[in-house]
Amino acid sequence: MKKIVFLFVALTAATTISAQNYFTRDGKVKLDATSSTSPEKIEALTKTASCVLDASAGKIQWAVLLKSFKFEQALMEEHFNENYVESNKFPKATFSGQITNLSEVNLAKDGTYNAVVTGKMTLHGVTKDITTNGALNVSGGKIRVNAGFSLMLPDYGITIPSLVSDKVTKDARILIDATLEPMK
Amino acid sequence: MKKILIALLVVVAAAAGVGYYLWNKPHVDLTNAKSDIAVDAKTLLEEYQLNEAASNEKYFDKVIAVKGTVMEVMNDEGTVKVSLETGDPSGFVVRCELSATAPHARTEFTVGEQVQFKGTCSGLNFDVQLDNCVEVR
Repeated sequence: MKKIVFLFVALTAATTISAQNYFTRDGKVKLDATSSTSPEKIEALTKTASCVLDASAGKIQWAVLLKSFKFEQALMEEHFNENYVESNKFPKATFSGQITNLSEVNLAKDGTYNAVVTGKMTLHGVTKDITTNGALNVSGGKIRVNAGFSLMLPDYGITIPSLVSDKVTKDARILIDATLEPMK
Repeated sequence: MKKILIALLVVVAAAAGVGYYLWNKPHVDLTNAKSDIAVDAKTLLEEYQLNEAASNEKYFDKVIAVKGTVMEVMNDEGTVKVSLETGDPSGFVVRCELSATAPHARTEFTVGEQVQFKGTCSGLNFDVQLDNCVEVR
């Protein structure tokens, strides 16, 4: 009997989790650090960001491997990894946050919702609080997340040498686009 | 005087040449690269799950030759990602993202077939991620 109860509890727990968690490993994160005076674009894209959303609690977690960012110029990619984010020491950037206006977001119903997310960003070994707005588009059981925000690179101990300060801005723009599916 | 001028010109031209080369430096092409370490997909993920920091010491940014069975192939807006089976109960895999610039004999793979890729290891993000991948044939 005990076993049956345990099994029942385990099964219920499993179904609840799978019904409430959304996940992707194919999130797109674009980094744009082009300064207004730069003749060339300083930007990079990764298509392998992970995101887990606990829909009922409104908790959202992101992780991106810095080495997976692709730049058009190989030299920029090298500088980014070796001199700026030091990906060998800090391979991952993470964000762990909370949707603060969860009552205005109905993830069970198709539609587009504005979400306010506040949480902790960890990059280059430094953790900072950030708050940003994002759009959640719920359609056919999937949730598309779009958000854009700025990161002040010096806040994360990333210094832009004065030699390239006319090209690389301290105020990097981050754009996120990910489609989350119910976790199996 | 003329000699100095010529010497100066040579130096400037060389500097410009180096600058031009660096600026247009090609992306990593592993086609002819020797792999630093060979491993199968299951072992690679298990090692990472057991100890991420130690595995990064061992694999991060190294050229890894990884063997495995194709579980899923995805073309994500031009980027080909091949998942290799690991037997992980949560479904996490070794993901090989094919190089966007290196030449490929093929970019289509059949689920269930045995393959080997060479790629640089970018770390663990649920899955173990390999970038700049080329198939070893």
